Amino acid sequence: MAVLHAWRAARVTPLGELHTPPRMTAVLVRLAVQVVLVASLWHGLYSHTSTTAGLDEGQAVTYAVLAVLASRLRELDQYAGRDTVLQHMHFGTIVYWYLRPLPPQRYYALRALGEQLYGLAWALGGFAVCLAAGVVEPPRSAAVAGVFAVSLLLGQWVLYYVMLVLDQMCFFTIRNNSAMLILIFVQNLLSGVYAPLWYFPDWFITLSGFLPFQATLSVPLSIYVGRIQLADAGVQLAVQAAWVVVLALFTRWVWRQAARRVISQGG
Amino acid sequence: MSLKAVRIVWRISLLNIRSAMEYRTEFLLNIAAGAIWQVSVIVFATVLLARFTGMGGWDSSDVLLIPAIRMLAHGLFVLVLGRLHFIGRQIQEGMIDVYLVRPMPVYRQVQLAYFPTNAIGDLTVAAGLMAGALSRSHLDWTVGRISYLIAAVLGGMLLEAALFAVVACAALRFPAADYWSRWLEELLGTFGSYPLNVLPKAVGGLLTYGLPLAFVAYFPAAVLTGHGHTTGVPYWLAAASPLLGVLAYLATRLLWRWSLRHYAGVNG
Repeated sequence: MAVLHAWRAARVTPLGELHTPPRMTAVLVRLAVQVVLVASLWHGLYSHTSTTAGLDEGQAVTYAVLAVLASRLRELDQYAGRDTVLQHMHFGTIVYWYLRPLPPQRYYALRALGEQLYGLAWALGGFAVCLAAGVVEPPRSAAVAGVFAVSLLLGQWVLYYVMLVLDQMCFFTIRNNSAMLILIFVQNLLSGVYAPLWYFPDWFITLSGFLPFQATLSVPLSIYVGRIQLADAGVQLAVQAAWVVVLALFTRWVWRQAARRVISQGG
Repeated sequence: MSLKAVRIVWRISLLNIRSAMEYRTEFLLNIAAGAIWQVSVIVFATVLLARFTGMGGWDSSDVLLIPAIRMLAHGLFVLVLGRLHFIGRQIQEGMIDVYLVRPMPVYRQVQLAYFPTNAIGDLTVAAGLMAGALSRSHLDWTVGRISYLIAAVLGGMLLEAALFAVVACAALRFPAADYWSRWLEELLGTFGSYPLNVLPKAVGGLLTYGLPLAFVAYFPAAVLTGHGHTTGVPYWLAAASPLLGVLAYLATRLLWRWSLRHYAGVNG
């Protein structure tokens, strides 16, 4: 029975997308166009440069395309289904999370797991196509592929907690759209979504090293393209794992605080 | 718009500002959000400029003019016409149905739904970047060039409004179409801030004739900096970018009226 409940919670957002073919078509078109644009951009930028910031053309294109594909992992549209925490607070429906036989934190985790698995299917499909088309380079060895997979898993785990912290903020502030926007921007910038962190000044790279964001995307992709050597990967994996533990403990504590003061607006 | 209508718009705008200031922290964070969004564009552009000098054969001081025009146009768009970007929410909450029975054009009501506090941050950063770009520029800023720059910014604003209006019109019929507006904003921010001649011709063509992003800032900046003949389009077309913005905006106003007549509502 628990498995059935877990399955039902996990498929909430993916089902919403599967039942709206136009939205899936839009995702497909967007992903394809974005990959072509990003690959073209980085090829164009490297037309007069061989290597910069320790990345050659192939590495830069691979990094950028994989970053686009990885962005699909947590980009399902909860908003259309009025299922973001922000909307639940706004419409007052957050109280239902506390009336169900499933604890809200477990529902949230299962739903995120479903979203990430569904997004992973998209990302893997895109990766296979890009690999076959020669848009991205294959991993340099089986060991690199294995370490990348572990790092990506840890990165997604960290990302889950980062997104959870953003959502948990909604329990404590009446209006927080702007804070959410700022934090999402910070997450994208410091995780290397906009551009690989290696291109940024040294002080910026050092600063990002003290924050969890680079662990979500920059570390796994840098391992994949060979910018982080396997010899150094152990330390990076340990840092990612440490962030998982720290954020798990922190969000667990915040869930308890949130339950004590659920503010339901509008209902 | 009659004088009475202008007065009503002014009064509602003042009320919206007071309403936004009700939550002071949110008000300040909203300004910061606008500024930070613009800073992200600057960060992306400057990182690329620092690592890849001579981008597309342009001097870096000339390249800076592209994000400066685009961001100023974007800031004005957010301030004046930006609520189109959030029409998905208004459709989802059934607000369009309410607007239809009020004695004011729906388009105007959409624009008066709230005060775009983030535009203050957007415009502050954009104005700073424009000042920086102009101070680093080696061009002779004659009256003609300054006039064209102003026209380019206004044309860019109207073209951006036209692009978002197309998505808004689609959302009136298919609410899920709102999904495209986020991507559009992302594309404008990512690909609208540097010379598009670094891209392959087919991709550059797509961003010129498919999604006319090149007309927002790239072509006007090319005309201003003397690169107008190397953009891959006829010089007159690149020079006419501000005019195209006006025409595109007027065309989408007609499209809006047509789409509104076919609005079916999302609540049955």
